[in-house]
Amino acid sequence: MDFSFSREQEMLKKAVRGFAESNVAPRVPELEQKGAFPFDLVKGMGQMGLLGLTNSRPYGGTGMGYMARTIAIEEVSRIYPSLGFFFQAGNLFMFAVEGFGSEDQKRKYLPDLCKGTKISSFGVTEQMGGSDPSAMMTTSKLDGESYVVNGRKSFITNVEVADTLGFVAKTGDSFSVFFVEKGTKGYEVTRREPRPGLRCMPVNELVFSNCKIPKGNLVGEEGRGMAIAITTISVIGRTGAAGVALGAAQGAFEGAAKFCNGRVMYGKPISNLQAIQFMLADMSTDIEASRWLCYRPAWLLDQGKNPREIGPDIARSKLFAVDMALRTCLKAQEVMGAYGQSPEYRVEIFLRDAIELLTAGGTQEIMRLTVGRALAS
Amino acid sequence: MDIVVCIKQVPDPEHFSKIVLDAKTKLVRREGIPVVVNQVDKHALEAALQIREKFSGRVTVISMGPPQAREAIEEAFAMGADGGVLLSDRAFAGADSLTTAYTLAQAIKKFSPFDLILLGNETADSGTRQVAPQLAEFLDVPHVTNVRTIGFNSGDTLIVERSMENGHMKIEVRLPAVLAVNRTINEPRIPSVIDIMQVATKEIKVCGLADLGLSSEDVGLVGSPTQMANLFESRRERRREILDGAAVTAARQAVERLRELNAL
Ligand SMILES: Cc1cc2nc3c(=O)[nH]c(=O)nc-3n(C[C@H](O)[C@H](O)[C@H](O)COP(=O)(O)OP(=O)(O)OC[C@H]3O[C@@H](n4cnc5c(N)ncnc54)[C@H](O)[C@@H]3O)c2cc1C
Ligand SMILES: Cc1cc2nc3c(=O)[nH]c(=O)nc-3n(C[C@H](O)[C@H](O)[C@H](O)COP(=O)(O)OP(=O)(O)OC[C@H]3O[C@@H](n4cnc5c(N)ncnc54)[C@H](O)[C@@H]3O)c2cc1C
Repeated sequence: MDFSFSREQEMLKKAVRGFAESNVAPRVPELEQKGAFPFDLVKGMGQMGLLGLTNSRPYGGTGMGYMARTIAIEEVSRIYPSLGFFFQAGNLFMFAVEGFGSEDQKRKYLPDLCKGTKISSFGVTEQMGGSDPSAMMTTSKLDGESYVVNGRKSFITNVEVADTLGFVAKTGDSFSVFFVEKGTKGYEVTRREPRPGLRCMPVNELVFSNCKIPKGNLVGEEGRGMAIAITTISVIGRTGAAGVALGAAQGAFEGAAKFCNGRVMYGKPISNLQAIQFMLADMSTDIEASRWLCYRPAWLLDQGKNPREIGPDIARSKLFAVDMALRTCLKAQEVMGAYGQSPEYRVEIFLRDAIELLTAGGTQEIMRLTVGRALAS
Repeated sequence: MDIVVCIKQVPDPEHFSKIVLDAKTKLVRREGIPVVVNQVDKHALEAALQIREKFSGRVTVISMGPPQAREAIEEAFAMGADGGVLLSDRAFAGADSLTTAYTLAQAIKKFSPFDLILLGNETADSGTRQVAPQLAEFLDVPHVTNVRTIGFNSGDTLIVERSMENGHMKIEVRLPAVLAVNRTINEPRIPSVIDIMQVATKEIKVCGLADLGLSSEDVGLVGSPTQMANLFESRRERRREILDGAAVTAARQAVERLRELNAL
């Protein structure tokens, strides 16, 4: 058993940390305030090769793997979880296309998405189909050379800024994955959801009304859509949420530890108080446990394990990481007293972001179901 | 243009508070303290890479240090260096700045034809600022320290600006030359994933005493003329005196006291 990073992974960690600390950190206050999508930072991550870590070279990816992606998510989220969340929302369609799309689709779409010069999003959720996506109402009917799509999706991250939206729709009794380009007639991005956290990644509703999309916009076989979507959400969405949670907790913890070492009371830094030490110890223990729960599925994916087989491992890591992040962010606020809630210290951002992760990528109960069902069978 | 960049691995300045001085052995105990590339050396490398991008050529990094200093060279590879030389031998240990410069000079003479050698202005750990001038002397070429810009003239001269306390000095330097740069010269690049993945394809040339054909008398602790006389933690204790009374009298008293303390 080897718990060490490869030299490459170590250098990646350092490079991403450098990027996050020098390029991202100074932008956080402005991005939080405006809630605007950071095109330039996403491009920066693309230029560095971070967006295509799990896409292969011929399609513009770097192919360094899932561990590498987890490292990148953790490091970006340690500074700004909202930007780290791009590795979740922005990688979904990229995974679906590389894993299930045609050669033409891969060559046409992946290079720009890897570079970050184009943005994609992925829509499954609907008002009636959140935890139970099979209840979705969006339909897609073949009519000559095109599909005609009708329906609505809700809570879709980055669709407001996306050049391409991948989505799941009902095709008869089964489901299929399609994509639609920005500006297509009959496809409209509507209301932006006001959200407390993950402020720089907008979440919107969208509507299809008799929207005609070319036949060639089908990803994978017709009828296999639900399997594609579930694999995509597990391998990218849940690992993404887990990684963001891990980074957020680490960021909050470091902020709190620094504060406790600097805040002097009774003539000494409060980190000398045993009660404070216990809280810091619990936080670091929690984070470390979660870190290895996140690394393992990523490592298994790099070993070529079938994503289906490790669905429960991924679900466990998301379940634990998000609960852990919430506990940690709350403790961080607690040890910082009133400063904990001050935007100046940024620890409160981590908490707001972690709250969003309870639901994004599937709720905690759905994670429990995924783990529980595997135990029952 | 062939450019050599000298880089040193130093304890991470963020962990300096954990460094312990051993009063008995007069050694710095740095176990468990992570090491990093001396920050300003990355600026030197960045300057070299930018020159290569303009005029083409080859950038070789060279470092003297323990075997783990290969990590510093790997990082330089990730930033884009073409070649790397690691001078590592037990005999090199304990070198002062003179033998450091001497060893670097011998290696450069042997392995790296150069038009330009770039160094950091000083290291974060010892910071003597001596290595660049000494290296230039051993190689018998001109040098400039504290360089903040490098410009190219026609022919084989450079125009460099050297930071001074109250401004800067413009200097024309003939190539080949040694320049020690400061941190205002540029912003070192962050390596990309592809660059990082290419590191494994580049080879580090590891050289010891024998490879350089040097005598153990001339290198490392043995060859170093500098002797460590003492090693102590400097503590600055603040004294405080309060002079009360009217401002005019207090000011007079203050001047008097400062004179008594030889502070004026
Ligand atoms: C920040 C953010 C970004 C998002 N981005 C996207 C995106 O890009 N694309 C996308 O398609 N979706 C996205 N979503 C939507 C997300 O996937 C859904 O919110 C999620 O699947 C839950 O669906 P729901 O909100 O309808 O909750 P519901 O499914 O209505 O759940 C309500 C409650 O019931 C519980 N529950 C439901 N079923 C069960 C069960 N079987 N057993 C026990 N308890 C159950 C849930 O755990 C929850 O507590 C995003 C959500 C958020 C918050
Ligand atoms: C505990 C301790 C005791 C020491 N005792 C002595 C002593 O008694 N006498 C003495 O003279 N020195 C002593 N040194 C200094 C030590 O030998 C120096 O690290 C070494 O000589 C280089 O000098 P510098 O770090 O001051 O480099 P500087 O001259 O400050 O560095 C300028 C530049 O030179 C280059 N450079 C420096 N070192 C290397 C290297 N190893 N490989 C490649 N490039 C390099 C880098 O580009 C650097 O930015 C001691 C250091 C320590 C930690």
